[in-house]
Amino acid sequence: MKVQTNGDTISISGIKDLGASNANSFRDQVRAAMSDAHKHIEIDLSQAMFLDSCGLGALISLHKATCSRSGLVRLINPTPPVQQILELTRMHRIFEIVKR
Amino acid sequence: MIDSPVITLTPQLRASIACNLAHVRPVAQKLREFLGDQGVPEEDLMSCELAFVEACNNAVLYAPQKAESLPIDVSARCSDGQIEIAIHDHTTGFKLPAIVALPRNENESGRGLFIIRSIMDEITYTPDACGNTMVMIKRRSDSLTTQAHFSREKTEDYSRKLAESEQVISEMAEELSSCYETLSTIFRCGAELGKTNNVITFATSLCNDLLQITESDWYVLRIISEERTRLIPFATSVPGAKLEPLFVPSPGKATTVEMQAAATRRDVWFNTEQPVSQSDPLHQFGSESIGLVHPILFADNLTGTLTVGKSAGRSRFTAAQANIVHTFADFLAIQFVNTQLQEEQLKHKLVSRELEIAKSIQRALLPKTLPQPCGFGLAGYCEFAQTVGGDFYDVVPVSDNSLLLIIADVMGKGIPAAMFAAILRSVLRAAPELNQQPAALLQRVNRLLYEELSEVEMFITAQLAFLDFEKRELIVASAGHCPILLGSPTSQLKAISPDGIPLGILPDANYETHIEQLPRDARLLLYTDGLTDARNISGSFFSEERLLIWFKSVSTEDKTAEELKLSLADAVHQFQGEAAPFDDQTFLILAEQNSARRRNVPENFSR
Repeated sequence: MKVQTNGDTISISGIKDLGASNANSFRDQVRAAMSDAHKHIEIDLSQAMFLDSCGLGALISLHKATCSRSGLVRLINPTPPVQQILELTRMHRIFEIVKR
Repeated sequence: MIDSPVITLTPQLRASIACNLAHVRPVAQKLREFLGDQGVPEEDLMSCELAFVEACNNAVLYAPQKAESLPIDVSARCSDGQIEIAIHDHTTGFKLPAIVALPRNENESGRGLFIIRSIMDEITYTPDACGNTMVMIKRRSDSLTTQAHFSREKTEDYSRKLAESEQVISEMAEELSSCYETLSTIFRCGAELGKTNNVITFATSLCNDLLQITESDWYVLRIISEERTRLIPFATSVPGAKLEPLFVPSPGKATTVEMQAAATRRDVWFNTEQPVSQSDPLHQFGSESIGLVHPILFADNLTGTLTVGKSAGRSRFTAAQANIVHTFADFLAIQFVNTQLQEEQLKHKLVSRELEIAKSIQRALLPKTLPQPCGFGLAGYCEFAQTVGGDFYDVVPVSDNSLLLIIADVMGKGIPAAMFAAILRSVLRAAPELNQQPAALLQRVNRLLYEELSEVEMFITAQLAFLDFEKRELIVASAGHCPILLGSPTSQLKAISPDGIPLGILPDANYETHIEQLPRDARLLLYTDGLTDARNISGSFFSEERLLIWFKSVSTEDKTAEELKLSLADAVHQFQGEAAPFDDQTFLILAEQNSARRRNVPENFSR
């Protein structure tokens, strides 16, 4: 996983799986990278082939963190299986999903 | 505690997973591989893997501390119809609700069961003394049984959708059929366009088709008059309709809907809200008619109007119907213009034919050979212009030593001018007793032709020159014709122009006689004004001045009449250059041959 910061945005990329085994560590790493200056989180999901309810839980946790800073979580180019889970659980309405 | 899964490689997969989240995914991937080997479609693989992970995660997460050392036993069986996955956990168990709701958005957990319920077809959860077993069944999407199952479940839904689709297809078919009908009519009209010369039959047939296609009841077709000021009724579907020509007004001054469409070049609609006025001729088709007037245009020129109407109470025109009216109007415009062009072509052909006839007459009037009086040469030249006819010359032998030279120009074109030239030639030859009295001959001819000429407002200029070679005498009379030129190497050039008005102007005109002696080595030129009026490309005339210069220059040269003819024709041609002759160019040249040449010619006339 790669973390970059760009102004008020933290960009995460290189995620392949986001499930029960790594969701907590993912959440904690992103939170740790966030400073007061960061409002938004951009997560590149173009390589993520698996997302389960624990992974979703981590994303929701980050979403809450950005909401408290009037920011948002932006999911970039989710793969079809990930997009399917987001839609199944109605999470596509919570996150900003960007296809570039 | 068993750290690694034990896999039985049979159509059934069995494994034991340590109670640790990190161990779940590898087994899930093995499951995926196993199912993949059984030919399970990708979408089912994804669902099974995710449901398996969610169920195992729960088994790990909710395992009480005392059960953390116990493995989670899993198994999967795959048949043609379905995949059955069983997970045996050691949690305290729970009651599986009939409906699993999604937790609130802000909840970070609690979605596992919802996901399983959503993506698997059946779930059972059975508590047991030795643990609990969750069995999840996924019907294979590639199985016929599954498809049959689904179709049973959704028969009603499908039936409804089918009925809806049938309705849509039926509507589309109807629309398509209407489009086909319209198109085939358009193609038929297109094919007829170039063929028919009968515009009224074509227009009537086209408009009747239009009524049928647009579900209309009547039409009125008007075409623009030749002077382009009035709309003339051309065809209508209503027998006995009273339709008068309408003037094409300036915009704003139209008093009827048809005039309005013609003036504005735009469609004018009428209906119950905007009815045609009582004074409008279309009012006779019903005060509550619905319809439109379409101006028929070709290359921005108004060629007519087409009004299509429906009786009161019928549905209004759709956009498609209005488009069809426009298309048909375009066809009519093309046919109108075609017909107009054909008529013009025919007229042009007739005119060309008439000119051909006129030219044939003219050519026939000219003498085939000219008499050659003793010691003299005679040559005639006549080049006809494209459209003008009426010049001719003639040479009438009077006696062995005399002859009458005639040159004339009938003012007019085509057959009438040629006819008068023919008549003149006959009349001039009909009184041989007057051949020696040119003025008297002209007077007679004028009297005979005056009535006919004045009736058609034509006149003729002519010049007669009687030559007596024995007396070396020249007697000239002219009816408003160009002067005759007389010259010789030794004498002064003379332009002889006795008084006399053209033939056909006054009934009792008198003509002066001019008598002149022929000088030695005389040269005589009779010509029509087409020669001096010859123009070059910049518009300058050949003019009398240039003619006199030429005549003076050749008077001193020893040339035969034929050589002089070629020289003058060449001089005029060179002057004209590329410009086409505007008028007939005609002349007669008489040249006395000097003594040296005279020895080589016969004594008497050769005819």
